Amino acid sequence: MEKPRIGVYVCWCGTNIAKMVDVEAVADEIGRLPNVVISKNYKYMCSDPGQDLIVKDIKEHQLNRVVVSACSPRIHELTFRKALEKAGLNPYLFEMANIREQDSWVHTDRAEATKKAKSLVAAAVNRVNFHEPLDARTVDINPSTLIIGGGIAGMTAALEIANAGKTVYLVEKSKDLGGNAAKLDLTFPYLTSAQQLMKPLIKSVKSNKNIILFLGTEVKEIFGYIGNFETTVKDEGKDTKLNFGNIIVATGLRPSNAAKIANYGYGKIPDVITSLEFEEMLNKGKIAKKDGSEPKNVAIIHCVGSRNKDYHEYCSRTCCLTALKYANQLRAALPTTNIYELYADMRAMGKGCEELYAATSRQHVMFMMFDQQNDLPKIKQAKGKDYSMLIELNEKLSGEAIEVPADMVILMNGMEAHENAKEIAHAVGISMCGNSFYIEKHPKLDPVATTTNGVYIVGGCQGPKDIPDSVSQARAAAARIMGIMAKGSVTVEVTTACVNEDICCGCQTCIKVCPYTAISFNDEKKVSVVNEILCKGCGTCGSACPTGAIRSRHFTDQQIISQIEGLMSMSLSLEMQLEQQEV
Amino acid sequence: MSQRVDPTLVLEIEKFGKGTWNECFHCGNCTAVCPLTEQGFLFPRKGYRALQMGLKDTITSSVEPWLCYYCGDCSSTCPRDANPGETMMILRRYLTSVYDWTGLSKKFYTSHFWEFFAIIFIGIITIFLLLFANTAGIITTLTADGGVMLDKMFPHDLIEKGDWTMAVIVAGLLITNIMRMWWKTVVKDKTVKVKFFSYFTEAWNLVVHFATQVKFNKCEGKNYWLWHWLLMSGYVLMFTMIVVYLPWFQTDKIYNWYEPQRILGYYATFGLMFGLVAVFIGRFKKNNEKFKFSHITDWLFIIMLILTTITGILVHIFRINGMVAATYYSYIIHLAILVPMIMIEVPFSKWSHLAYRPFAVYFAAIKKASKK
Repeated sequence: MEKPRIGVYVCWCGTNIAKMVDVEAVADEIGRLPNVVISKNYKYMCSDPGQDLIVKDIKEHQLNRVVVSACSPRIHELTFRKALEKAGLNPYLFEMANIREQDSWVHTDRAEATKKAKSLVAAAVNRVNFHEPLDARTVDINPSTLIIGGGIAGMTAALEIANAGKTVYLVEKSKDLGGNAAKLDLTFPYLTSAQQLMKPLIKSVKSNKNIILFLGTEVKEIFGYIGNFETTVKDEGKDTKLNFGNIIVATGLRPSNAAKIANYGYGKIPDVITSLEFEEMLNKGKIAKKDGSEPKNVAIIHCVGSRNKDYHEYCSRTCCLTALKYANQLRAALPTTNIYELYADMRAMGKGCEELYAATSRQHVMFMMFDQQNDLPKIKQAKGKDYSMLIELNEKLSGEAIEVPADMVILMNGMEAHENAKEIAHAVGISMCGNSFYIEKHPKLDPVATTTNGVYIVGGCQGPKDIPDSVSQARAAAARIMGIMAKGSVTVEVTTACVNEDICCGCQTCIKVCPYTAISFNDEKKVSVVNEILCKGCGTCGSACPTGAIRSRHFTDQQIISQIEGLMSMSLSLEMQLEQQEV
Repeated sequence: MSQRVDPTLVLEIEKFGKGTWNECFHCGNCTAVCPLTEQGFLFPRKGYRALQMGLKDTITSSVEPWLCYYCGDCSSTCPRDANPGETMMILRRYLTSVYDWTGLSKKFYTSHFWEFFAIIFIGIITIFLLLFANTAGIITTLTADGGVMLDKMFPHDLIEKGDWTMAVIVAGLLITNIMRMWWKTVVKDKTVKVKFFSYFTEAWNLVVHFATQVKFNKCEGKNYWLWHWLLMSGYVLMFTMIVVYLPWFQTDKIYNWYEPQRILGYYATFGLMFGLVAVFIGRFKKNNEKFKFSHITDWLFIIMLILTTITGILVHIFRINGMVAATYYSYIIHLAILVPMIMIEVPFSKWSHLAYRPFAVYFAAIKKASKK
């Protein structure tokens, strides 16, 4: 290996760093370290002149390692890696020391902060000595896509991709397309027909020659990685092998079990029904009690099984608006019936939704508020004119204990993940939150991708949501996939783990700890093998390996130990300097 | 014991004045700005909520609507334009009908036909009774000091009999209704057990608040207390003089300006006219929250009282100037407006607040004293 020639650049970040850290002193001190050829400070390293400074120095001084001490690598590591590439150096021969977030921003003593900056930069310098050039790798993308789930999100994504001329395998567990949205009568907030949305959609999915449908089929296991996935599905009794480059998970959600809440007596009291059961009535065009007669007092209870630590803590998002929709439909169908909305908090956010709430409140609907955390209403059977139940509750806005007569109660039961959510998660290699909803790559900036490249989550499987949000996500995922397809190939992570087969004892500990199912066992050689495309370079296997056979690229033991040594030795030498001064 | 909600109560109360009750989202600003609300007697939001939910017992057992003098701060502060002040007004009308055992109050409040029919009917009866009392016909002879012999045409002993009959009927109705108010707001209120002695220790409230309406002064609107008090004192003074002291007040003698008959009469007239004109202009221009909404009964009350006052002034002018026929007819018209106004407005309608409001203050004081 050629002798390292390191260039160090200490950034002021305007006054962000310079105000609290003596950047000149840092650059001077670091300049004395072995292998450091030049050490400079500059006002804005990330600016074009700052980057040009690095490029120029690499060429002039034949630098082969670069350290920039500035902000967090999350912000500018890529910027400087590109500068290295521009100068003809491998971008991994670079290290960043964070002296802003981890130093100048969080300290108030300038001398101490400067000392810390010296230590941090020294650590980076020590580490960069051992950096190795790593080469980026690309994989080709299979232009077919697998979509799991034939609800509104899955179908929308399928059409989007199929209409661009690419093949889609659409796998649906049930015998019919449409999912939950197909069971609805009207949609909120504009009270338009769900069937008018769904029927043409289903028809175009079925007639699209680029969409290959597998109804009544479940996906069990998926192998491969972005660009080259494969699975086997049962189609009309025979196994069909599918190859595809990307996956969209659109498995949706299901209504929670209302019988779990004892207070509401679902399953025991005849005219206590769930929202989907009421939706069926609306679809049939007749709102009727079990005895066939029209209800005279209809109570709608919100937040059933939602927002309560005993059931689900999250908000199911669509129930409030659905309940308001019911009030409107009830009022239209039964003008003289009393309508009661028993709610915990009215959550009518979204375009047109608050307006629906306001309009509903003018429809002679009585709204009552209860305590969802500690004091749920209780339904008791009773006999009386036009009612068969009395709902007892402590109404929060009036502070009164009241009873509501009802002969029909609609429970707005919340939505929850499917019982087999975990199996799907395992099959596609994505993770779930505590509520069994799939986790997106970034909750704000990357909401449809997952940490597994090539796998996207759309619609209700990611969390309860309404039709517009599901459709937006579906189209977003489709657009992402088509972007990758258009490129034809994708760069994959290079900071992966690799196994030294001579040292591996075949204990398979690494296989158990790998969160990305990226390691498999080679039975012939009796050693672990890392699939470098699935590997994210998290390092879990490396730290678990008892023999030290696994090496994490760019995070080798040598690199990390030298980084620690650099940190400690600088701290030590600074202390010694200080003592000498005092003497 | 839980109270049953009743979605139809809103429809019932809506007949007493149209509200915007779905607008309220219970921020509580109205109660926060109200200068009269206090712990234990929170309004207007609480009453508003009871109305939305149809909690009839809560509404009928509350004195709170009567504690409100309608300064309108709540309505002008309301972020939703839900008009809490007017809602208190509507609740007062509704409660008046709830206290009234005859059921006539509800009829007068909710039906124009009943209201106008009753006024015209009582007016015609009054005219007939006056013609019956007027055995002497129109006496053209003037008194020594040049006045009309009004007391000879309509002898005060006969008119006084009529006055007292009217007063007894009105008082009987009002007293029984107050008893019902007491029953509903004090006895039936399960939140408080009233101590018997507090009826006596708190009795001063009734007298003070009837006579002064001092609480109105707490409302931050300028001068409302003053004109309201002038109107009230003028009315009460005139009522007392024409009912209790008629033989002293209605004579054929023309008094000097400094004698009490004239001074008191002029004061009462001034108080009435001042207050009435202020209210009339206010309601006409809707220049204040409290005047923004005018129910038909609000207008009728003002117009009838203005007409009564004006005809009263005319009787006085015609009489002292010896204008016989004018005095004769204006006197008949004066009473034909005055009698139905008192018979309808005092026990059944807007005027009843002169009794219910001080009693509400009294009952509230009793409840407060009993809670200590």
